[in-house]
Formats: sequence, C-alpha cells, structure tokens
Amino acid sequence: MKLFFRLFFLTLLITTGITAVAEANSENENRVDLIGKVVDHYYLDFKPLTTIELPRLIYDEGQFYAFRSTTALLNTSDRFVDAAYVDADPVTEEGVIKPATYQIVRTDGSSPQFDFSITSHLVYFWFAAFLVFAIFLPLATKYRKGIGKNTEPQGAFQNIFETLVVFIRDDIALQNIGPKKYRTFTPYLLTVFFFILFMNLFGLMPWGVSPTADITVTAVLALLTFSATQLFAGKDHWKHVFWFPGVPVPIKFILMPVELIGLFTKPFALCIRLFANMASGKILIFSLLGTIFIFAELFGPATAYGTSWIWVLLTLFVYLIKALVGFIQAYVFTILSALFIGLAVTEHSEEHAH
Amino acid sequence: MNPVFAQGLLDVDFGLFFWVLITFLLFLFLLSKFAWKPILNALGEREKSIRESLEAAEKAKSEAQDISLKNEKVMKEAEALSQKIRKEAQEEAEAIRADRVEKAKEEADKLLHQARNTIEQEKKQALIELRKEVSRLAVEAASRILDEELDEKRNKKIVDRYIDELN
Repeated sequence: MKLFFRLFFLTLLITTGITAVAEANSENENRVDLIGKVVDHYYLDFKPLTTIELPRLIYDEGQFYAFRSTTALLNTSDRFVDAAYVDADPVTEEGVIKPATYQIVRTDGSSPQFDFSITSHLVYFWFAAFLVFAIFLPLATKYRKGIGKNTEPQGAFQNIFETLVVFIRDDIALQNIGPKKYRTFTPYLLTVFFFILFMNLFGLMPWGVSPTADITVTAVLALLTFSATQLFAGKDHWKHVFWFPGVPVPIKFILMPVELIGLFTKPFALCIRLFANMASGKILIFSLLGTIFIFAELFGPATAYGTSWIWVLLTLFVYLIKALVGFIQAYVFTILSALFIGLAVTEHSEEHAH
Repeated sequence: MNPVFAQGLLDVDFGLFFWVLITFLLFLFLLSKFAWKPILNALGEREKSIRESLEAAEKAKSEAQDISLKNEKVMKEAEALSQKIRKEAQEEAEAIRADRVEKAKEEADKLLHQARNTIEQEKKQALIELRKEVSRLAVEAASRILDEELDEKRNKKIVDRYIDELN
C-alpha cells in the first residue's frame, strides 16, 4: 500500500512536469509531428539539448559530392538546394542558410541521381552493428582462450550471451533447418537476431530510434532472408514452385502462380511484420502522450493536468510491452527466416502427403 | 490541428538501403569469421567433450560392473570348485578308509583261515602220528603179549601196565 502511494505520487510528480511542457508547447504551436518522430532524418535529434546534422553524400551525373552536414551543403554548394528553397528565399540565421525540409534537390527542383546520405536510422544501425561486434568479439576471444571451451562459461556476460547463442543454434536453426544444413545458416541467424534485438531496444533509449521501425531496414533484412532461401534452395524447392508434385496436372498449372507469389509474400510479410510492430509501438507511445495535448486543447489545461497520469501510466505500460515486443519480434523474424530457409533447403521425399 | 499523414513512413530510401545492405553483409562476414565461428566451434567442442566424457564414464561404469560381475562369477566358481574338491577329498578319504577296513578284515580273515588250516593240518598230522603210535604200540603190545602169552595173569598185568604207560 505504501509502495502504491509512493508510485502514485511519483507519477503525479512526473506528469506535472510533462503537462507543464505540454502547456508550453501548446502555446508555441498546436501541431505535434507524430510521424516525423518515426521516420528517418538527416540529423540526430537530441532536443532540447542539440541537433547533430549528419554528412550528406550525393552522387549526381558522374560525380560524388560529400558534405559535413546539410547546413554545410546549403551554404557551400551551388548545385543543390533544400527542396523548400527552390522557389522561395532560403531561411537564414546570422547569414547561414538553415535547412528546412532536409530534402536536397538540384537547383531546378529535380532530384539528384543517388542520395547516399547518412541518416539517423543508419547511425543507429551502425551503432547496433558495432555493439554486436563489441560484445561478441571479446566473447570469441574468451572462447579461443579456452574459457567456455575447456571449462564452464564464466561470468554473467558470457552466460547470458551463450544462452542466447545456444538458443538460436538449437531451438531456431537446428529445429527449423535440420541437422544436415543448420550449420551453414546459424551465423546468419545469429547476426540477424542480435542486430534486430539491439535495433529494437534502441527505440527504448532516450532520444533513441529503432532502425527496425524503418521499412527500408526491414526490407533489406527480408531481402537477405529471401536471397538465402533462393540461393541455397534445393531441387525439391523449385519442383514445388513450378511443378507441384502429387497433384493432377491442371492443378499443377493453378498452383504454379500461387507458389510463385508465395515466394515473394514470405519475405514481404517478414519485412512488414517487423516494421509495423516497431513503428506502431512508437506511434502508440506518442499518441498516448499526445492525448494530454489533445485534452489540453479540447477541455482546457485543468482536465489535461487531472488526467495526464492515466496516459503516463498507460505509456509506461506500452513501454514495457515494447521492451517485450523488441525481444519477441527479433525472435519471430529469426525463427521465420529459419523456417523459410528450412522449407527451401530440406530435401523431402516425393511420396509424402500434401 | 493539422492532421499529419504518413508521408515517408512507407518510402524505401535508396541510400539507406544501400548502406544497410553493405553494412549488414560486411558485419555478417566479419562476425561469422571472428565471432560466430570461434564461439560455435568452442561450444561444439565443449559439448562434444562433455558427451564423450559422459560416454567414457558410462563405459567405465559398465566395464567396472562387468569386472565385478566377472569377479563374482570367478569367486563363485572357485568356491564351487573348492567345495567339490573338499567333497571329493572327503569321499576319497572315506573310500580309502573303507578300503583299508575291508583289507584289514580280509587280512584278518586270511590269517584266521590260515591259522585254521594250520591247526587242521597239525591235527591231521597229530592224528596220523597218533595212529602210527597207536599201531606201533598195538604191535608192541601184541608182540609183548605174544612173548608172554601163557601167563594170562601176567598178560593182563602187561596190558594194564601198557595202558597205564599210555596214559
């Protein structure tokens, strides 16, 4: 009971702070760019502390253009402008042109050929890659030295990650791909799992973003699973796609397009599932907190103050769910990848019933 | 309030796609070579050694069991053998004793028989000698009687005396 009251007062304290910010914001502008919080940016957002602009790398008509930041590009390049400044005058601050949309176009308004610019999602993706590397390289050194090889694994660090590695090897790779070929795909599944897991969890950090909430990132991952499936597919896989065994000939013709579409729906589902789960979690959190702002506008600040603790508690709940979902989705992506790969590479007998 | 539509949410950005693909493939290669391979190999080796140790222990246990079973069997056999030997020895001893008693009996019988025979023989001899003696005596007595036949009184006296002499 005592704990409950403590929690209650703590949330009250926090919500008062948040509603204060909400009030301040509602005075400045009534618009909260919700989707803008989820999509990719050409800067790292540490508001209200700072915003770090990321390098712009553009390839256009046979030449590479590299700039330290979008601001540097706008102020030094005569070839590219911000999409908002094609027709209008650029917004300047103490003589320096400030980016508006961060969308870089040629001076005539057309898009450059390729924009390789570093984005916030990419930074966090690299961060995840680096983290996986930084965790497992020392761990590998430990195993090379014999700890965990000739002895039992030592320390929480090794035990935790060994458990995960063994889980993926035994319960995901071995279970779905089979004892003959699982060794080929275990490294890929491990990499995918830890990348996705860390990317998912980054979304829970202050200012952090989940690169997995970006359909481009999940599309790459799904494409890789698709490639692995098709590259390592056995004879049976193609037979099932183009000439389904064990059914009458007319049915074979009907099944061919179905199976062909099925080839692509699998990775597509992988891509969308991960993206939608991660993006929706984030949108849900912003929506719940946004309810305070909406209430402030609809019923006045008093109602917003009074009810804000409900939304904060709900947000806390969703946040915990998100942490759980981060693990679950990493697991789901990995196990489905393993399943699809397993379906394609396993040679099964002709006679078995379909 | 201006509603914000999901512009950009479902856009696939080429630059990001490119970088993510490159990074992922690079890290897949690096991690496979420098992290997953040694870790998975070490785990595999560890599992193998554990499995082998368990198998060896199981084997040693079954071997020990075999040996103890064998020992027991050998002991039992030895005991059975010793019992048999003892029994045989006992039987042999019994047989020998019985044999000896038999032999002794036979010996005794033989001796007795011999003794009887000897006695018989001697008796016969004695009888023969007695007969000889009696006949001689009779001849002697007859001759003496013939010598002094006229004197009946004296004859009678001679015969009496002779019989006295015999006794």
